[in-house]
This record gives sequence, structure tokens and C-alpha cells, in this order.
Amino acid sequence: MNDIANYALEALKKAGADKAAVCANKDRKDEFNVQENKFTLLRTQFNDQLTLKALVGGRKGVTVINKHDKTSVDEAVADCIALAKLGMTDEAEDIAPMEHNQKFDQTIGGYDMDGLFNRTKEYVEQVNNEFPKIMLESVTSEFTTEKWQYVNSNGAAFSNEEEYYSFSNMFMGKDGEKTTSFNHYGGPLADLKTAFMDFGLQRQLLAESVKSLDTRTIEGKFVGKIIVAPTCEDMIWHTLLHYFLGEQVLIEGTSRWKDALETLVANPMLTMRSIPLNPAIIAGERITEDGFLSRDNDFIKDGILKSFALGLYGANKTGKPRAANTAHYNLEVAGGDTSFEAMIKSVDRGILINRFSGAEPGTSGDVSGIAKNSFLIENGKITDALQETMISFNITDVIKNISGISQERICDGQSILPWCCFDGVTVSGK
Amino acid sequence: MLQDFLSTHKSAFKDHTELRAQVNTTKTVTLLAGNMVNNVQSATGGVSARVYRGGTFGFASGAEYSPDSVKSILTAATENAQFMDSQIKKGLPPLPPLQGQAKVELSTPIFEDVSQNMLIDFAKGLDDFIVKKYKNLSSRTVIANCLDIEKLLIVSDGTDTHFFQPRSQVYVFMTAETADGIPVELTEPFCIRGRFDEFFTDPRRMEEKLDLLYTRLMDKRDGVYANAGLKKCILHPNLAGILAHEAVGHTVESDLVLAGSVAAHNLNKQVASELITMIDFAHTYDGKPAPLPVYVDDEGTLAEDALLIENGILKGYMHNRESARHFDVKPQGNARAFAFNDEPLVRMRNTAILPGKDKLEDLIASVDDGYFLVKSGNGQADSTGEFMFSVDLGYEIKDGKIGKAIRETTISGVAFDMLKTVDMISDDMVWEISGFCGKKQIMTTAMGGPALRCDMNIGGK
Repeated sequence: MNDIANYALEALKKAGADKAAVCANKDRKDEFNVQENKFTLLRTQFNDQLTLKALVGGRKGVTVINKHDKTSVDEAVADCIALAKLGMTDEAEDIAPMEHNQKFDQTIGGYDMDGLFNRTKEYVEQVNNEFPKIMLESVTSEFTTEKWQYVNSNGAAFSNEEEYYSFSNMFMGKDGEKTTSFNHYGGPLADLKTAFMDFGLQRQLLAESVKSLDTRTIEGKFVGKIIVAPTCEDMIWHTLLHYFLGEQVLIEGTSRWKDALETLVANPMLTMRSIPLNPAIIAGERITEDGFLSRDNDFIKDGILKSFALGLYGANKTGKPRAANTAHYNLEVAGGDTSFEAMIKSVDRGILINRFSGAEPGTSGDVSGIAKNSFLIENGKITDALQETMISFNITDVIKNISGISQERICDGQSILPWCCFDGVTVSGK
Repeated sequence: MLQDFLSTHKSAFKDHTELRAQVNTTKTVTLLAGNMVNNVQSATGGVSARVYRGGTFGFASGAEYSPDSVKSILTAATENAQFMDSQIKKGLPPLPPLQGQAKVELSTPIFEDVSQNMLIDFAKGLDDFIVKKYKNLSSRTVIANCLDIEKLLIVSDGTDTHFFQPRSQVYVFMTAETADGIPVELTEPFCIRGRFDEFFTDPRRMEEKLDLLYTRLMDKRDGVYANAGLKKCILHPNLAGILAHEAVGHTVESDLVLAGSVAAHNLNKQVASELITMIDFAHTYDGKPAPLPVYVDDEGTLAEDALLIENGILKGYMHNRESARHFDVKPQGNARAFAFNDEPLVRMRNTAILPGKDKLEDLIASVDDGYFLVKSGNGQADSTGEFMFSVDLGYEIKDGKIGKAIRETTISGVAFDMLKTVDMISDDMVWEISGFCGKKQIMTTAMGGPALRCDMNIGGK
């Protein structure tokens, strides 16, 4: 690995790169597959990757191959330089400076194939026994071992070796001809000590799918509160990161928050960070996509916008500060001072949303879609499962209208999130 | 072109085996507000083997493609199949043999590699064209992309094949601001099956559609929120394809049927208006090559059309070889894998609702109070048949006439309920082949259809 990365870096420099960066990866993934509650497949993948970036006169070329042999590397180097020479000069293009070179070790003691198989088998059996009305449309359990080496022409050199298990499943309630919406859950795991059934919200979500075999449709529409579960992170948090804080919208100048740094953009009870170094995050990012050491990063603190989600290029291009990591999926939202139970009691009429199927909102912040695997809240109590229920809101409005954040938070190995209650949402049925 | 290191192993296959060498090559150039933020090439290839024993599969893949690596990957896949068979003990017999063994050679001749320079020059020219012509934009993005897939497939029984499929596409994103500074966007994909310069030679070839995109974006700047609820809607042909794909197509994929999708209990029942016929075309539509033709799937099955709905009656599902055995039907070539290290899954190919006899103008004129929904973004389906897709562009219809544009919203429904409300279908047909379908792996698919008049739930205020 070191040899390949350093060889490619030297070759890029000799071929004319003013600046260059190389990342060489090698991984193996072993994966058990279950469909319709039955094992179907054992898959083993041996993967290589080599990513080359060259800057020639401020022009960038990037080449990606999945070969490590000398002939392929030489060809990729030539291609990368040729691409750079064809590119457009852009002074914002750069590579990371040398910081404190490090070797990271995130290994967990190797692969226990029998253990992974037995945990998977145990999960299927538990579902069959505890939830006979659940159909496992698919279950995937994996062990991944990966090594990578990053070097660049400023002298930066990092390497990492990591191992982790992961588990994911898609499921639905099924009783005769009645079928519920599918739901899904899972995440990375540092070990096999915990049964998959006891992972995060897994058991609760299965139980809720069974409860959803009988649903109700809301008549008409109303404006009220929605309580968004930790499983719905795309709906609010990733929308903010992409369409308000992301590199594309800031370079274009279309972000509605482009001038909002250090101003109040949300209810002061909201604090949102990305936390790849948190010990609860499995195989977290150690260097950014552009070669900086990763650190945890505050996006919003006490309602005030503290950072955009910019990498090196976006920061240079916009003149705004670079974020301290590029692991925006490793999100943490700070817990509030309300219990989940009290939050439910505070809602006269609203819905609890466990999954959201919605449109890409765009930079306007208008969000609309279907509340899936969701329940009606009436007079402070969760009542019926819902079907064909649409919600719509503007995200810049509702994050100012947060009426509660739960004390309880759920960690799924990738993020740590609470339940959040938003007011002023249009809920419509038939 | 891929060398054949596979065929020599065929005589040694003991169980049902698929051996596949593949390389996917992509080139991408992105100009974001005139800045070249992407100038990338990638080539990802290798070899994979899948072995069936006793009712379960073993699969292995590796990036190296050589006579030695093929042998070791085949051994690894066989060992995985043995492990699964020894642990699971389903005791199922081998897959039924396929009839008509043969070898199908390249459906599209491999052409000389397209240069990155061609993409760069075109993207720059198009960006300049947009800047000069469309004055009220606050931003624009141009993406030029090529994806070439070459496969060599050897199967223990069935049809061996050598396959090459090039896809070239350009995306144009336009952004403008409303009077109170709110950004609004619209996107137009231009996508062809073939070499980049078969179409993308001069931005003026796209001018008519770009003019329309800009006009509609200006309409959308003054857009209003839709009035949420169940409404009479005219779906432009652009949306009928995504309806066919998301709302119906996924629910009739046999793996989802076996898991209990809403289609499981509706075979040979009325699930749509009698006006609706829907087919997953294999490789030919209306006597010409379908947008993304599949001649042999990744299990070695010769591809045929799959009739899904005929005159409103659900007539069949899409299968791989294993599910076809379960349902006692003939497999029709829907087992597809995207990358060399992906296993074949049940996937759509060219899925379409067939055109009717009405004129789009008459559909619009027939609505007193409703919406004309013109462009869609993403869409999602559900096991219940409940679907959602975003509407990036739509208009109010008042007294049979097009009114104000609406802001982004979402439409939803339950497929087999909503399709029963279709009472007019236009006589035109639009195919869409850009983007990817997601289902464990991404996949290139085509979807098509005419304009439909139907009842839909629409989001809004």
C-alpha cells in the first residue's frame, strides 16, 4: 500500500504535477444476505482503489481506478496529468498542507465469520418467534476490513486500518393480504456482543410495523406539530447540510444562509455537530476528503450558525471558513430537557414520524412528502398508524419553531440523534 | 476490449455457475457557475463468480482480471456456496436448465474511447451559450457524463454473451430568484444511448428544450403553493414513466412480491383502468431498439418482454431464474447486475405505460380545477403500492386552461387505487433514460409513458 501510494505520487510529480495527492485503498467485505426470512447468499468482495489528483498550473485532474499493478498505475498517472492539462485554471484548487502525519488503527481483532453468521441467524429466528407478522424483505450483515494510505506533495502522509461489522434490514408487517409500508434500520458495529434485535431502535420499529397493519387516513388537513424520530435524519438535518450549508449552494451563491454565519438561524435549543472522533461513532473519518486531519465540527450551536459544510476548494472559492471534517453523516444533535413521553403529552394534534419519503427540497427549503411508518398523536397520546398522510413545511421556518427536543437520544454507530418536535407543519390526508 | 479468460472454465462447472468479467468506465465534467469543479475519469472492473448449490448462492469478486485471478475467484465463490449449503440445508434441486443455449455477441460494437477533451469543450460551450442567452439566471450548472459498460458472461447453462452499452448524458440546472430573493431551480436531462458525440456536438441542438426550461423557470419564479389534497391532475408524459417505474414496477419485482408487496394478491385482478397496459420491454419497442436494450441478462437468460398489466388486469411479475421456478413461469431476463462485484437482482429494463388515443390538449381542456404536472425529480415506492414523487414544475388548471406555475411539491397515491382513476390517456410517448434506479445497487433503466388524467394527492398548503 505505502509503496503504491508513494510510487504514484512520485510518478505524478515527475510527469509534471505542481501539486498532487494520492489515496490507495484495499478492502475485503464478507456479506451474508437474507431475503424473505431465508438465507440466500454469501458474498465476498476483494476491492482495490487508487485515486489520483494532480494540479498543473492551477488546473485539476482526477483519475480513479481499481487496480494496483504498475502498468495500470502508470496509465492512470498519465491520464490524470492529461486531464489536468485539459482543465480550467482555478486558484481555489489546492491540496492540504502537511500537519501531523499519523497512522490510525481502528481494527477490532479480526473477522469472526461464525459469530456473524450466528448473529444473523439468531436475528431471523427472533423475528420469526417474536414478530410472526413481520416479513424480512432483506437482511444484510457484513464484516469489512479496509486499509488506506494517503500521501500528498506537501508531505502529508496518513494511513489507516479499520475493521467493523455492519447490519441492515428492510422489513414490513404482513398479515394475510394486509401489508404495511416497508421500514429499514441498521448501522455499523464494533463487535458482535449485542444481538441485532437489541441494536438501537430495532425492536421498537418491528413492533411499530406490526401495529401499522391497521391504519387510518386523516380527513382533510390541519396545521400542527410533528415529532421527528432519530430515524428520519435526512428529512431535516441532511437537508440543512446540503441545501443551506453545502459547497454547491455556497459557490453558486444560492444558499439562503450564505451570509448568516454567527447569526441566529434556529431555535436556541438547537445544537448540531458532526462528530467523527466521538468514540460512539464506528470507523469514523480520520482525515477529510481533501487530506486534513478530521476534527469534530459545530454547525449550529444554541441556534447560532457556527460553520458551513465547506471543504478546502469551497472555502478558498467563497472566502468562508473550511469545516473541520467532511463526515457530515456523523451527526450529533444535542439532547433537550423534555422526555419523549412529555413531548408526546404536549401535542394536542400532530403526528410522530418514523420515516419520511419526500422530494429533494432544493434551496428554497420547501419540503413535502409522505409521513411513513408514522402515527397520529391526539390529546397527548399516540393513537393510530397512518397511511396516505402528506406533510409540507419550509425548513427555515420549522427549525425556528422547535417546540421540544427529547432528553433521550439514539446512537446507531453513525449518528447520535434525539426526537425533535416542530410546529407549524401542514398535515394533509384525503 | 475484454479478453476472454472465462470460457476455458465452463467445462469444469459442477453447479449452476455464472462467471462475469466487466468494466464500467465513466467520464464526468461539471461546471458549477462556470467553475470546473469536476474533471474526473474512472474505470472500475474485475471478475465475479456466482455459484448455486442446494438453494443458496456463493459469490466472490476481485479487481484483478487474469487467468489466475479468475480461478481463485471461482474457488472462493464455490467455497461460499458450500458454506451456505452446509449451514442452511435448503435441499433445493438445481435451477431448471434454460432452453436455446447460444452465445450472443456484442449488441453495440465497441467504439473508440471518447476523449475527456470532447466533454470539456462541449460543457464549456454549453455554459457560454446559457450565460449569453438566458439573462435572468442567478446560477447554472452543466454536467457532461459518459458511462460505458462492457461485460463478458459465461454461464453453466443458458446464453453466454459479450455486451457493450454506452450512455451519454448532459444535465443542465438553472437557478433564478423570486422577487423576495427565494431561489427556484429547474433541471433538464439530455440523455442518449450511444457515443457522446452522436448527439452532443453543438449546444444549439438543445436550444429548443433550453428555451422551454428557461421559460418555465421564469414561470416558476412567480409560482404559488399548490392547494394540498386530492386533486384532478394531468400527468405530463415526463411523469408517466416515473409512475410506471416507481408506483407499479417495483411492486411487481418478484423479490418484492415474495416479500408480500401489494401485487402478491392481485394477479389476474383488475388493478387499473381498462385503458392501462404496461410492459417491461426487453430490447425492442415499436419495432426499434428500446432506449436501454437488454438482450441477455446476468443469469444468461435470453431477454423477452414482460407483460405486467394488460387492459387494467395484472398479468405478471418480473423474475430471476429462481423466482421464475417458484412461480412456475418462464424467466424473461430481469436479473441484472450493475458493477462487476454486484450479484444479479430482479430489475426493470424499459418499463412503460402504453399510449392511448387522446390528445394532451384535450386532457388539459377537460379539467375545471386541477393541476398539470410537468417535471419530476426523485421518486420512491413502497410495498403497499403507496408512491411519492417530487414535482419540480407544475401549473394550475382553471376552467380547462393552464394557469399559474406552482412551487416544488410532492404527489402521492396508492398505485392500484390511483391507476383505476385514469380516464384519459394521450397518444404520445416520452422515454427517460437518465439517472439510476436504486435497490441495493444502482442500475440504468428506462421508463416511459403518455400523459394521463387521474386523481392524485398533492402536497402544498
